[in-house]
Amino acid sequence: MNDDPEQLDKHVEDLLQDRRPERTPLPDEDALRARQTAAMLRAAKPGAGLPSKDFLERMQGSIQELVEERSAQPQSAARPSRRSLLLTGATGIAAGIAAVLGIQQVVKAEPKKVAQGALVVGNGNWKPVKALVELPEGTPIAFRSGAIEGFLIRQGQQVRGLSAICTHMACILNYSKFRDRFECPCHGATFEKDGQPTNYASPLSPLPSLQVKVEKGQVEVFTV
Amino acid sequence: MREEERTGAAIASSGKIVPLPHADAPHGQDHLTWAYQTHVTAIYQYIYGRVGNRPDAEDLTAQVFVKAINGMRSDVSVPELRSWLYRVAQTTLADHWREYYAEGAGELEDDVTQQPAPRENPEAVQRVDSLLATLPESYRRVLELRFLRGYSVRETAQELSLSETNVKVLQFRALNRAGRERGRPS
Repeated sequence: MNDDPEQLDKHVEDLLQDRRPERTPLPDEDALRARQTAAMLRAAKPGAGLPSKDFLERMQGSIQELVEERSAQPQSAARPSRRSLLLTGATGIAAGIAAVLGIQQVVKAEPKKVAQGALVVGNGNWKPVKALVELPEGTPIAFRSGAIEGFLIRQGQQVRGLSAICTHMACILNYSKFRDRFECPCHGATFEKDGQPTNYASPLSPLPSLQVKVEKGQVEVFTV
Repeated sequence: MREEERTGAAIASSGKIVPLPHADAPHGQDHLTWAYQTHVTAIYQYIYGRVGNRPDAEDLTAQVFVKAINGMRSDVSVPELRSWLYRVAQTTLADHWREYYAEGAGELEDDVTQQPAPRENPEAVQRVDSLLATLPESYRRVLELRFLRGYSVRETAQELSLSETNVKVLQFRALNRAGRERGRPS
């Protein structure tokens, strides 16, 4: 059972076609590393590696259902919901979900925090993301820093920051210069430049604003 | 209404998690939804960068969030949450590779444990660039053509004036060499 060029190429072809490669046992660590390297190379191809709209929908549904079930019936039996099961695909996530539901009492929210409804987060940093001069007046510019995907909007010497994550299903928003608003590539939600949602079938939350400051001509964002 | 409840949790001005507009919703719910929404894309990209195909990336991402919800507390800080999610992603990937090869299937890059920074596609590209730079010219060429430009074996063979069999052999050697380079402690 030696690794050989044909077998490796089959694996490579699967990756290039975005198919799941066959899980054949490998003879040695070199063979494994060759495949891990192939995966890394595949992901560097332009356009690769963003989650699909369809996947985000399924995930959102399942996560939402898990969260709801947990808050509705804290003692519920280990019964994976139908929708949760749809998520699982070929691997055994159903078992994981059952386990999650089984221990819900452990993960219930801490009462003292619920009363106040806000959490204080420590350990953030200010990170420079752009020079002020790079920002055009009034036109949102996308940036990414730490866990934050956002837009910077300059107004004179002031810069506002807005989250770029759609409050519908967490796709990353685009800014349309033509229509002067944020648009979601997944389900068409739109937001004004102040973050307010517009014209969507179900009511969405506005885009959260981010803390931004200008320091010596550098725009800095508070990130974690 | 329901939609609003679901999506209300948010990053506030200082990276805090702010309450929902509807304060009667249980807090743990906000936190989970928020944790999911703000990290799903980054975790997916991180995993995709290591398995290189959509079906596996989707399954493993789902597994990570299901496992992470399992251990989630509502009073966790954002850095803790992120480092937790990346740790779960790492062990999930290690289990995944174990299906191919039982021993020594740990992820090669253990730096995540120390530095749970989100992995971004630009960074994936950079990792690849520095890896390719360590390879001899012919190895680099075949990997660039196949992976970054998406050439078929036949097209690669034409481009390099080789037979298709030789392209596969070259690709085999290049990937094995690159794999060893990555495994080498730096």
